[in-house]
Amino acid sequence: MEFGPILRAAIHHRARTILIVAEVALTLAIVTNCLSLIRNLKSFLTHESGFDDDNMLSVVSEPFDVAFKEDAYQIASIDDDVRRLGAMAGVSAASTTNFLPWAGSGNSGEVKIVGGPDTRFRSQQYVADPHLFDTLGVHVIRGRTFTPQEYESSASPNNTAFSTVVTKALADRIFPGEEALGKRLENPDHTQVYTIVGIIDKFYNPFEPIDEHACFFPGRSNSYLVRAEPGKAELLVPRIERALLRANDGRNVRVRTLREVRSDYDYSYQLAVIPLNLVMILLIVVTALGIVGITSFSVAERRRQIGTRRALGATREAILRHFLLENWLVTTAGALLGLGLAVALNVGLVTLVAGAKIEWPVLAAGVALLWTVGLLATLGPALRASRVPPAIATRNV
Amino acid sequence: MLLYNLRLAWHSLRRYPMLSALIIAGIALGVGVATPAITTLHVLGQDPIPQRSSVLYYVRMDSWDPVAPHPSASGIPSQITYRDMREIMKSRIPVRQTASFPAALYIYPADRNVRPSRETVRLVFSDFFPMFDVPFRYGSGWDKAADAKPEAVVVISHALNARLFGGHDSVGRTIRIADRELRVVGVLAPWRPRIRFYDLLGNATREPESIFMPFNWIEPMEIHSAGTRDGWKAMEGNPTYLESLHASETVFLQMWVELPDPARARAYHDFLDAYVREQKRFGRFQRPLDNRVTPLLDLMAEWQIVGPYFKAIAAISILFLIVASLNLIGLFLGKFLARAPVVGIRRALGASRSAIFLQHLIECELVGLIGGGLGLLMSAGVLAVMNKGFERITHIEDLFQLDAVMVLAAVLLSLAAGAIAGIYPAWRICSLPPAQHLKNQ
Repeated sequence: MEFGPILRAAIHHRARTILIVAEVALTLAIVTNCLSLIRNLKSFLTHESGFDDDNMLSVVSEPFDVAFKEDAYQIASIDDDVRRLGAMAGVSAASTTNFLPWAGSGNSGEVKIVGGPDTRFRSQQYVADPHLFDTLGVHVIRGRTFTPQEYESSASPNNTAFSTVVTKALADRIFPGEEALGKRLENPDHTQVYTIVGIIDKFYNPFEPIDEHACFFPGRSNSYLVRAEPGKAELLVPRIERALLRANDGRNVRVRTLREVRSDYDYSYQLAVIPLNLVMILLIVVTALGIVGITSFSVAERRRQIGTRRALGATREAILRHFLLENWLVTTAGALLGLGLAVALNVGLVTLVAGAKIEWPVLAAGVALLWTVGLLATLGPALRASRVPPAIATRNV
Repeated sequence: MLLYNLRLAWHSLRRYPMLSALIIAGIALGVGVATPAITTLHVLGQDPIPQRSSVLYYVRMDSWDPVAPHPSASGIPSQITYRDMREIMKSRIPVRQTASFPAALYIYPADRNVRPSRETVRLVFSDFFPMFDVPFRYGSGWDKAADAKPEAVVVISHALNARLFGGHDSVGRTIRIADRELRVVGVLAPWRPRIRFYDLLGNATREPESIFMPFNWIEPMEIHSAGTRDGWKAMEGNPTYLESLHASETVFLQMWVELPDPARARAYHDFLDAYVREQKRFGRFQRPLDNRVTPLLDLMAEWQIVGPYFKAIAAISILFLIVASLNLIGLFLGKFLARAPVVGIRRALGASRSAIFLQHLIECELVGLIGGGLGLLMSAGVLAVMNKGFERITHIEDLFQLDAVMVLAAVLLSLAAGAIAGIYPAWRICSLPPAQHLKNQ
């Protein structure tokens, strides 16, 4: 291999070499950080909720009739709504709950172990009727959902003892290595006690850092989740609105498919992903053009040299190899420098603004990308170099 | 001399049209990416109410749980309780002051056949309007007497006035909210601050509310907050809404005070400390004393109103411009060196090194400016696309706009790009010994 001539040429044309090294290094640093930010954002976009998102609808009842100020009237109306929703054609399950997946918000609160140390566990907290888990499409893996009695007694104002269903993640956090079922929790003021009657397998609602931690208590809410039979969710939107307004006209009813709710949630992340992708692609194009430019000049400048080498017996392949290898060495040097820069830029971004620590597969992908881009960009000028006729060596001397 | 150099530069550009186009495109891309990115920071980060931001202070008190600090990044609650608001409003130190919170209430149209509509409402004290320079089309806010009573008056937004009263002067007309008739005393002019500076919680780019009404209606109408409520202590028994309002530790009020100078701000801070020390004697405020009286702009910085991803993207876009300029070094270098014989002749005929350097640098800057101009056009396009994208979240059609500052920034960026790309090649060409290139001719 012709490392010797390549190295000597690189040292002789310091400026050109340094330029490509700097370009490649900076490009690698930026591209890998873009990729890292995009991966970070995408993890929000592609996260599975664990629920049957595609077939669910959210229904919110906004009462304005003063009759709703009476608790009994409100309760009767909610029960009536749940019954009507459950009986509608195309609906496979319906439930009252103040939990709405992908709303980008939620309720949270703290619990502690009854009689345990004063350690508090923050989790998402929602009320629900016994059918919520069916509606979401999650499984109660141990224990059971609320009984009708537990659900009914929750409405009584003097109740201080409740049952609760918790997510497996929360159960494992509060009672690591122990059976959580049957254990008792309380609120930090010791005014309410919650007995764990059931544990569900999966749950996810973005609410850092308690995305997967939630407890549900029996109770009613002015909002509902409905699971439609596959493919019927869209159709149900106007039908549900009409049915509920027919049942009680003293309110407005808002119905949305969960897919729509989710797309709103995802939207703000997409707004950040698109410009990052764009900058990344433009950057690669600009860098490739830069390498094409510099290599072209370097070929043009060395035409006589190349001709002389050809005249002295170097094959076309040898010339091609020379330029490709030269570029590969320079790109690699740039990539090595770029790895350091990438990590430095990443540390800067993470501490000053946003993002997560860059991971090595991203760095590896960046290096591979730049090798490819570098070789492709050199290929044109290098082919031109290989076609320089040996006869040129004899002219002009 | 400048004109001569510009003419030389122009000739040189026309001599290699492809190369020139490539270089100009590079700079245009760099400027076209970097300018929109800094425009987002400029628009979101700029002072939303420059004439008054220096006298507006946000009030916070650490009334949180003795056992654990508030989970937010600041470590103290973002809002204050009703009972504390009632007490600190008695202070005469602020020139103006208002507590406020958002609600969602139904308004009932006069025509019984039209369904009631749910509107966004903000309960405020009369000082709210002058404090935040709220613009009126008709009428005005209400007075202190209307605060105290409270009187059945409202101020409505321009859009709601258009919907309810066809945009006519509706001062003196009434609207029905829940079970009350309220008289319109003021109609706002169209008012859409890019950042809703009087309420920075949650999405700060939301629209102002449609209805503003006297704060003290909270009790007679039992109005609940539709905004963020944050509590740590459950109440014993089953208190009514009014009982819980007066006894609860739930924070849901945003408190703003107007303090004309730093001395008053210190005095007000001392007043809050004294109030909290007194409350501590009654067993409240058991956490370490931590009251904050924060100027508006500092609060925007603390709460990161400009999202971190905006900053990350802006940083990356500026780096992009730098890389694009670096790329052009190689192109300029090649182009200039190809011209070395001509330069050699000029040097031999007596042109000084600095003249050659200047000539080439001017050529680079000319390219930079042409590229910058195209980049500016591209920025306008990019911003138009971004505005479309953000409209879905912010409901503002033209959130990001190029202003004079941003045009100036684009010009400076393109000059900088020209300099980054041009200084080294210009130096190389001017330091070539003239004889070497003359020999070859």
